[in-house]
Amino acid sequence: MVDPLQSPEEVEGRTERRRFVLEETGFDEVPKRYRKFYRKWRGPGDQLGPNEAICPVCKVVIRSSRELWPGDRLYCMPCMSRLVVVESADGTLEARVSY
Amino acid sequence: MADTIDAYSIQNWLESCPQSYLMDTEYGHGPEEKEPDFILDNEVVLEETIKATVQLVVGERCALSASSGLINAAPDEASRRFLATQTLDEARHVEVFTHRLYDLGVKKQDLEGTIQRYANPNLVKFAEILLEKVDRKDFVSGVVGQNIVLEGMAFSVFEMMHAMNEPVNAKFAHTLSGTIADERRHVGFGENRIGSLIQQHPEKRPEVEQMQKEMSYFMLATFADAFRNNQTANELEAAGIERPHSEYQGVDLGTMEPEEMEQVLADTVLKEFKTRLGRIGIEYQTPARP
Ligand SMILES: [Fe+2]
Ligand SMILES: [Fe+2]
Ligand SMILES: [Zn+2]
Repeated sequence: MVDPLQSPEEVEGRTERRRFVLEETGFDEVPKRYRKFYRKWRGPGDQLGPNEAICPVCKVVIRSSRELWPGDRLYCMPCMSRLVVVESADGTLEARVSY
Repeated sequence: MADTIDAYSIQNWLESCPQSYLMDTEYGHGPEEKEPDFILDNEVVLEETIKATVQLVVGERCALSASSGLINAAPDEASRRFLATQTLDEARHVEVFTHRLYDLGVKKQDLEGTIQRYANPNLVKFAEILLEKVDRKDFVSGVVGQNIVLEGMAFSVFEMMHAMNEPVNAKFAHTLSGTIADERRHVGFGENRIGSLIQQHPEKRPEVEQMQKEMSYFMLATFADAFRNNQTANELEAAGIERPHSEYQGVDLGTMEPEEMEQVLADTVLKEFKTRLGRIGIEYQTPARP
């Protein structure tokens, strides 16, 4: 399992996750086979895709080949954190650390 | 992936670091990359750059002592191995920043004298608070002090310096991006390992909170000294060199006064402390403002 999306959560009323083809982003802080799953965050104006979440610990953008849904468990390899995707007050997706 | 490589293993470190972003670097940067002329040719800018680099060496020497000292205080084997990789990372940081001092013209025989002359006394105090915990083999306080407070600070300082250097000094920006990548692992270890340990040792909280408050004060005092007395911006302006319009935390560093930059950095770091400590169940203590 190389995708950072470790255990996809079932969400009621949703049936199919959108798929994404990932390309290299120049990120080189993890072993080669994992690199396309991460990219550097370009700061406050940087728009995240529906398959992306920022790691709150190391600020790297985590990318999955599938759309992210609330409840999904993610792994951030650059800082080795385990995260859970949650829906924040403004409706955007956010990753939270789970210890 | 967590299943295929043990996160705190030497193997993970080898594949992520020496075999990845450090591949083909010399002292943290490309073999052809050089410090730019606007630094080397201007006495004032050169001295300010040496001074700033000395603070990095001082901070990294502290991190080296702390991470190596914590190896024997760690309660488990995986943490000991991770801290061994961190010890090598910190030793590398000491080395690459020391090497930068040589690139800036400091003679080898003058290294210790230069460090003594320019080391900020507030940064030295900051380091002493942490190293006292490490000397007592206090693992929880030591990891919070090192991997959350010191590294949380370093992370933001390096990111700001990276933003400022990227357009004008590819060599130093390259050195910084490698250290930032290392810091990601260090802050990750700090939060993840301590997050669970602090739950087992709630009695440690008051002591850890007091340490964070004291370290934060000396950090702010260091920032104040570093920005308020810095001649670089004035000197570049006098020489007709425009500062790069780098963006950091949504502001343009190329148009800010040094005091404003100090404010942005201090606010960013304190906000980060607050969220990082909050996540592991430690209540952030607001330091006095120097
Ligand atoms: Fe370091
Ligand atoms: Fe570090
Ligand atoms: Zn991360």
